[in-house]
Amino acid sequence: MLERNFFIPMTDRSNEQWLAELTGAPDAQARALEDLRHRLQRGIFYYLSRERSDLTHLSGQELGQMAEDLAQDATLRVIDNLDSFRGDSRFTTWATKIAVRLAISDLRRSRYKDFSLDGLTAEGEVLPASTGDTFPANTAPTPENATERADVMLKIERALREALTERQYQALSAVALQDVPLEIVAERLGTNRNALYKLLHDARRKLRQSLEAQGLTTDYMLKLFEE
Amino acid sequence: MFMSLHESELHKLIDCIVTSHYDDCLDCESCARELDCLAERVAMGAKINDLLPEVATHLCCCRDCFEEFEALVAILRAENSGQLDAIG
Repeated sequence: MLERNFFIPMTDRSNEQWLAELTGAPDAQARALEDLRHRLQRGIFYYLSRERSDLTHLSGQELGQMAEDLAQDATLRVIDNLDSFRGDSRFTTWATKIAVRLAISDLRRSRYKDFSLDGLTAEGEVLPASTGDTFPANTAPTPENATERADVMLKIERALREALTERQYQALSAVALQDVPLEIVAERLGTNRNALYKLLHDARRKLRQSLEAQGLTTDYMLKLFEE
Repeated sequence: MFMSLHESELHKLIDCIVTSHYDDCLDCESCARELDCLAERVAMGAKINDLLPEVATHLCCCRDCFEEFEALVAILRAENSGQLDAIG
């Protein structure tokens, strides 16, 4: 019997063939699983090594091991979710979507493992204190618009205090100001990404309405702080 | 008060307000259901806005979904151009 990985390239299957083999007889299933895992591993390795500037400190071997582990987990997840494949795309694209989400989730959890929402509260100082220069020299406020900026900042502070709930404030502060992924914030808040997105959507809308009610349009604010 | 705020933070706050939309938005799960089909077409050169504008709107507001979409498109483009074959 021929060694599969010796001369034969990865098989291009139709969507129907993938589904039939992945749920079929043991031999065909094993071959399909191995092809799928290998395919996902290639895609993940490409992403980790070419598209992630934050992973450049890792060696090719380390990235390869990460890709292998992630592809293994992704393959299992694909198999667990076969019933949800609708056939709108190629099967391998759908499987890669699952693998990408798993890989990125893993990277997010690793990067933000120590992140906490505890310090994010609307009590006291509403907006986060800076640790460096507040404004670059070329955009520092002139005496003429410094007062106007201060007034707008007070209105933003009021909008944040009055328009948002504590939970909305925490979520908005983490996601919009600190660039923390929704997935991480959702976990810390004990909810899911979908529910958090809706919560943030409502928060942004309420904040916008509150600012507009105070006469502050987004165009005006952008212009004021760009001057 | 404003002196305690980084300019970048202020802009982020304003940006998140600017990109908010009043209509009922697509949520992350609905967006995720469309990503594979959409990514295939975008990887072939199509524009998201021409295909699924409501997904495009969601991707503008949701960094998580956008990051996953970009990654998927990058892998598909690499696959289409044969770059993945070089990986083995």
